[in-house]
Amino acid sequence: MPIERVKPGVVKVVPRKLSVAERLYIPKVVAGMLVTLRHLIHNLLHYKKLPIISYPEVKRVYSERFRGRHILTTREDGTTRCVACYMCSTACPAECITIEAGEDERTREKFPVRYDIDLLRCVFCGYCVDACPEDAIYMTRDYEMAIDTRARAVVGLRDLVVPPNFPVALEKKGTAGGTGLGQPIRQAPYPDEAPPNPDLYRGA
Amino acid sequence: MFDVHEMEVNFGPQHPSTHGVLRVLLKLDGERIIDAKPIIGYLHRGTEKLFENMPYPQCIPHTDRMDYVAAATNNLGFVETVEKLMGITGQIPKRAQIMRVMLSELQRISSHLLWLATHAIDIGAMTPFFYCFREREQVLDLFETYCGARLTLNCMRIGGMPDDLPPGWLDDLEAFTGKFEAAVDEYESLLTNNRIWKRRTVGVGVISPEEAIEWGITGPPLRGTGLEWDLRRAQPYECYSDLKFEIPVGKNGDTYDRYLVRMAEMRQSNRILRQCIPMVKATPAGDIKAKISRVIRPPEGEVYHSIESPKGELGYYIVSDGKTQNAYRLRVRPPSFVNLQALPVMAKGHLVSDLVALIGTIDIVLGEVDR
Ligand code: SF4
Ligand code: SF4
Repeated sequence: MPIERVKPGVVKVVPRKLSVAERLYIPKVVAGMLVTLRHLIHNLLHYKKLPIISYPEVKRVYSERFRGRHILTTREDGTTRCVACYMCSTACPAECITIEAGEDERTREKFPVRYDIDLLRCVFCGYCVDACPEDAIYMTRDYEMAIDTRARAVVGLRDLVVPPNFPVALEKKGTAGGTGLGQPIRQAPYPDEAPPNPDLYRGA
Repeated sequence: MFDVHEMEVNFGPQHPSTHGVLRVLLKLDGERIIDAKPIIGYLHRGTEKLFENMPYPQCIPHTDRMDYVAAATNNLGFVETVEKLMGITGQIPKRAQIMRVMLSELQRISSHLLWLATHAIDIGAMTPFFYCFREREQVLDLFETYCGARLTLNCMRIGGMPDDLPPGWLDDLEAFTGKFEAAVDEYESLLTNNRIWKRRTVGVGVISPEEAIEWGITGPPLRGTGLEWDLRRAQPYECYSDLKFEIPVGKNGDTYDRYLVRMAEMRQSNRILRQCIPMVKATPAGDIKAKISRVIRPPEGEVYHSIESPKGELGYYIVSDGKTQNAYRLRVRPPSFVNLQALPVMAKGHLVSDLVALIGTIDIVLGEVDR
């Protein structure tokens, strides 16, 4: 594109008069076709390098910082790391986390008896991961969250809690809501029946 | 003998080339437009009211959803406004500033690529669409490796950045900037001197500099008329005053000039990115946040701050009562909304098929128009 320098820091874009060859359609049409043809030939020769993913046979692997579905991590002894402190639900801009706290009779420690995330309200911002003081909640690289009823978008403890030693880096890498290094893609264990959360779910 | 036969036609809101849910009420004389009246509000979500009801940090993910093809600049405008209100603009570490500039220039590239792809396909040029999306995908990948999302980035925080750059990110960026110039050449080889493209764009939707100022138009449509108004130069924010770049301006204020301006802007953004890479390498890693308290409670007062988003001047106006963590009133000045107001002026006397080119050339995002 022809550019004219007007003054320091400003350039003027100058439309050019078309040449005779450009005004006759044919040479330009051929030139345009050549661009396409060049790509076609290049892609045929390097078809292995095509930026195409045959989803769902091949799944895309996102980076470690991907903000996908949540998990709740577990301590060595099998109890959930979450102490039901409500920090995540306070930080959540979509107000989609519902927690009910229970108390362990023996250790006097709080734990969640109910922990629901409405994935249809969730905006996947990662603030809950940032807020958690116990490193209990993480986001995974799982992005396949299709559901067939709205009620099933509400995931509870049963869907969120992962077994102990589930490979997440328990030292948080920054605060972007990352999953930590070495986090495998988690297959969503959606149960066949809808989670029974009719009171949380509003709407038709 | 030839009496004018006027006809009123609805264009949109489900028309594919209105880029969302814009409805234009057209008054037609045959194919010629006598009057065009944009009717908006189909995507209104009450974002401004939402902002008044949540603490400042929680507003950031919601700003993503206004101009959803340029989330980083929306974030940037918001966090800068709050920082200005709190008086901590000077405390933002250098590294965070450069990272913000890099993300917003990448966002400018990706927003302009989406604009070019859809604008070209609206006018009938199919091929550039694929090439634009090829590069845009790479930009979105860069976003995703940085902050974990591709569109709704939520990639800035009040007082700094959420996270340091991941290892290898700068190398990926460098590779991208190295290839990008050639990619722009390729788009231009298809369009710039194409006779059909020129026939569809030259002299369509002319707007004079005076009219542009009267209507409050900003961004590439304003610069297309020949006025050199770019907030990155006029009111430098972050580290733009340290960077060398040029403001491309047009001359005729028509669709073709606006096209040329945006193409040149992509090259300038690429140039800024190339300058940023050594700059960010020279700053200490991890120094990305100002030392401010976690609870953001700005003092009483009001503030207006605007930045140059890919579409024009994006401004936020905040009134704070100093007592709560919420804004008392928050108003967004979206560029798309203001630029759209010039559509009737631009459209008068043109054909219906030119309206498609005009909606494309203003580069509106309805999420931002309606908020
Ligand atoms: S990702 Fe954001 S919206 Fe979703 S549950 Fe966490 S805090 Fe709430
Ligand atoms: S912030 Fe962490 S510990 Fe607290 S309730 Fe949420 S998940 Fe549990």
